[in-house]
Amino acid sequence: MTNSSSSTGMIEFRGVNKWFGTLNVLRDITLSVEPREVVVVCGPSGSGKSTLIRCINGLETIRDGDLVVDGQRLGDPATNMARLRTEIGFVFQSFNLYPHKTALENVTLAPIHVRKIPRAEAEKAGRELLAKVGLADKVNAYPAQLSGGQQQRVAIARCLGMRPKIMLFDEPTSALDPEMISEVLDVMVAVAEEGMTMMVVTHEMGFARKVAQRVVFMDAGAIVESGTPDEFFSHPKTDRSRAFLSKILRH
Amino acid sequence: MLENFSFRTIVEYLPLFGQGLVTTVWLSLLSFAGALAVGILLSAMNLQRGWLFRVPAKAYIDAVRATPLLAQLYFLYFGLPRLGIILPELVVGILALSLNSGAYVAEIIRAGILSIPRGQVEAGVASGMTYVQRMRLVILPQAFKVTIPPLLGQAIVLVKDSALLSLIAVAELTRAGQLLASDRFMPAEGFITIAAFYLLLYYGLKGLAALSGRWLGQAGART
Repeated sequence: MTNSSSSTGMIEFRGVNKWFGTLNVLRDITLSVEPREVVVVCGPSGSGKSTLIRCINGLETIRDGDLVVDGQRLGDPATNMARLRTEIGFVFQSFNLYPHKTALENVTLAPIHVRKIPRAEAEKAGRELLAKVGLADKVNAYPAQLSGGQQQRVAIARCLGMRPKIMLFDEPTSALDPEMISEVLDVMVAVAEEGMTMMVVTHEMGFARKVAQRVVFMDAGAIVESGTPDEFFSHPKTDRSRAFLSKILRH
Repeated sequence: MLENFSFRTIVEYLPLFGQGLVTTVWLSLLSFAGALAVGILLSAMNLQRGWLFRVPAKAYIDAVRATPLLAQLYFLYFGLPRLGIILPELVVGILALSLNSGAYVAEIIRAGILSIPRGQVEAGVASGMTYVQRMRLVILPQAFKVTIPPLLGQAIVLVKDSALLSLIAVAELTRAGQLLASDRFMPAEGFITIAAFYLLLYYGLKGLAALSGRWLGQAGART
């Protein structure tokens, strides 16, 4: 495919710009995420970090620049978006589980109907995944019967059921009560340790230090700073990142 | 006044009222089925992004909501024969009720679909579902539950509207009241009796709505 042969990046942003009306929400983003790499994206509210990862599976479209995911250029007529999306798991801040489906049905719905995996096989895999996220006993529970942390773990299992190459997390713990955050982060750590390519929008520094190879700091739609978690958290290079860190560290 | 009120005449005419009631019930059922079909089609057209289907659907819904049902009924009753389409009164009546109620049903269905949170659509999109798969597997099953109570409300309206068919000589419940009124000059007996029957139908449908509400409430524990 055009433009993709030059690089091995699983996710490649090259000079990407996006506007909401006259607001330049993504400014000249250039970023490459390697296979099996875990990148944490942080920054103040409204800095464009959610928009950044929503572009990767086409929930948002870009105005100009190139965005190549798994060797396929987004916006290219040859790229089958629905097909590409099956390779990209997306975990939402508000879980977005299907309320009319049980936990198991949530996990198996897309594998059965999109991946065309036989039901019995999908259900077996679904049970295993729910067990893996610690919810073996909640297979037949509906989302309303689950706590926020449990719902988010089902949502992660739902993504894993598609056997994706990439997992994107959009503030996965922001909507959770404090005591439920660690159960979700533990699952994310386990996924990362299995070698998943991940981009995670989060302010959870413990998670970043534990599994991320890189932290990307965004402000006003631009990537301001990027480095290893240790560099970034211990020796932030810019005033804006220092100001941001002092705010999230104070709490 | 009440000493002149003839219960005997009402009892005498009871078989006629019975026939009228049965006719009202089944023509309402047929009309409501027709209204659902019209409503589903219109709401599907109305939810399209392109104007080609959306504009005619909106125009139709506005036209129906802006004009009296009686005018619509006469429009079909006197208009269709001009076009060479001769249909029995009953069929014209069912057609008019279906086309009229369909416009309201379309708005109920559209509101039900739009009430499903955006995140549900995005979850479907993100897992690679097509538009049709998202509708079938994610949106419509949820929208269905939301629309049942207002649809039953619309059914109640339809039953009452069906009284207008008496004006094109369909032998339904109101027509039975009219016959008693004109044959025996007893409008009070005629119309109070049909009012009682309509009340009966209303409570029947209301009971159904309550029942479905309870059923949905139980299902709601799952949502």
